[in-house]
Amino acid sequence: MTQAAVKVDRLEKTLGSNKVLRGITFEAHSGEIFGLLGPNGAGKTTTLRVICTLLAPDSGSVEVLGYDTRVSPQEVRRRVGVVTAEIGIYPRLSARENIAYFAELTGVLNGEVKRRVDGVIDRLDMGSFAEQRAESLSSGQKQKVAIARAIVHDPPVLMFDEPTSNLDVLASREIREFMVESKDRGKSVIFSTHVLHDAERLCDRLTIIHQGRVVASGATAEVRGAFKDLEDSFLSLVEAAG
Amino acid sequence: MSPIAVVFKKEMREILRDRRTLMAIGLAALATPIVLFVISQVSTKTASQAYTVGYSGTVPAGLDTLFNAVGLKLERVDDPAAAAKHQVDIGVAFSASGVDEYLDPTRQSAQLADVRFQTVLSRYDAAKVAASLQEKGVDPSVLNPLPVMLHPLSSPSQAVGNSFLSFFLPYILITMSLTGGLSAALDTSAGERERKTLESLLLTPAPRSQVLVGKILAVSSISLVAALASIVSMLVALSQVRFGGNGGQSFEVQLSPLAATVMVWLAVLLAASFSSLTITLGTLARNFRQGQAYATPLYFITIFPASIVLFIPDFNPNLAYYLIPILNAVLVLRDAITHNSVAWDTLAVTSLSLILTGALCFYAALKLFTREALLVRS
Repeated sequence: MTQAAVKVDRLEKTLGSNKVLRGITFEAHSGEIFGLLGPNGAGKTTTLRVICTLLAPDSGSVEVLGYDTRVSPQEVRRRVGVVTAEIGIYPRLSARENIAYFAELTGVLNGEVKRRVDGVIDRLDMGSFAEQRAESLSSGQKQKVAIARAIVHDPPVLMFDEPTSNLDVLASREIREFMVESKDRGKSVIFSTHVLHDAERLCDRLTIIHQGRVVASGATAEVRGAFKDLEDSFLSLVEAAG
Repeated sequence: MSPIAVVFKKEMREILRDRRTLMAIGLAALATPIVLFVISQVSTKTASQAYTVGYSGTVPAGLDTLFNAVGLKLERVDDPAAAAKHQVDIGVAFSASGVDEYLDPTRQSAQLADVRFQTVLSRYDAAKVAASLQEKGVDPSVLNPLPVMLHPLSSPSQAVGNSFLSFFLPYILITMSLTGGLSAALDTSAGERERKTLESLLLTPAPRSQVLVGKILAVSSISLVAALASIVSMLVALSQVRFGGNGGQSFEVQLSPLAATVMVWLAVLLAASFSSLTITLGTLARNFRQGQAYATPLYFITIFPASIVLFIPDFNPNLAYYLIPILNAVLVLRDAITHNSVAWDTLAVTSLSLILTGALCFYAALKLFTREALLVRS
């Protein structure tokens, strides 16, 4: 059995007057890709934001590698890397400078920064555009920069929030391959998506969220159950949940 | 490297690659010399401009020569009142009983011609009276029983220069402290949100207070550079241009070491306060454009205090007024320039006021920076 890296227990969160999360519970383990599925507005992004300490839970708890997000947010942030659909990078910095900036802010030691940055540039095959200013890069190249800055401090937990929604087919495939590679390296990969085809292919286990509640959870094959594919299972579960 | 240094280094790198900010600083440094050069040219042209006096009757002997000497050209007309409306600058009717002058006060050329005309006439009158008295064996000095001897304690040109500086220098210092770093401040606050980099930044373990300090230091540095560059260019320009032509008024521009030191100290405080304030406004904004809209009222804040010095030159308020940010900087700088002295109590109150203002703005920015709403809004 792999080690539990992220534990989410009866998580509740209200934003404004909208109760977004209503008791979410799941565990993601090291060495697996864990899927967080649900329609738009289900609460996936809010859940990820609570896990990475950007939002505080109203009730319930979240632990990342044993660190409570409310008690030790700095420790949690050191151990988490997040890639989102919105590829925000600094346009007047080069790809390399963008990555180095985040390496320094995440506490990579001065003497280590260059080696770490070179390492992720090699790993993501970014050598051809590493010195170019980010404003001149393609969407796929920018997404690689976003991934590189999220992993430059070598976090044990990686979270991908709809990472392929703005990318073409080739760039999307590279992201999927990267997630598998990260899993093989022993990372805990949490993959939030509403693209069920991707989830079915990649996820070892998954949780389906609807209107802030967990409607199904378990190994991908278990959740699919007797249905033809995950999409049919998903639709059936969501309709049943109202 | 501490997060403050990391953020500062990155922000400076971005700012120095931002054409908007560089252009703002360059234009600020060039604008003052250009404006002063244009004023110099206009004043030179005005000083050498000849004006036409339409007259009727007989010009008293010798007066025509005096008119010529001050650039008043005589032109005979039938009706001086009618001619003064459009044809000539002023109209004059000489008669045995005296002189009737006609002018349209709405025309600037009429006003300028009138000043010259009145000057010539008063000199002519004085010379005539003096000559008459001498003919009768009376000393003309009886007309001036209490003569005044003026002993200026500094050069008149320096007084003019100080008066000019006491308005323009605080105005430029305050304006550039605000606008020099405005683009950078909005870029580093509202821009983070607009570019979607804010979330990634807040995800790092770097303490948010340190991230904010790094940003404020970078924006303050740019504001300071912009303000000092503008002032240096203004001082250089003032020392080179003359006003009113070759024989006209020149400024003796000397910024004493005391005034220069006070100016730099105030520039540092203003730059830090304005940086915190504009970053706070930028953090409230959803995007760069909205940030600009929020910052627009600040321009008025910079104009009013400097205007007080212009319109009420002898404004000498009590110490409580020095608690008002920006106005206090204007007043302290005015005193340092015009009197070459600083009252230490006013400088202390001013410094305290500006430091408190900066601290309050920093606190507000930090509060915004740590609010969940910051992310939810984005």
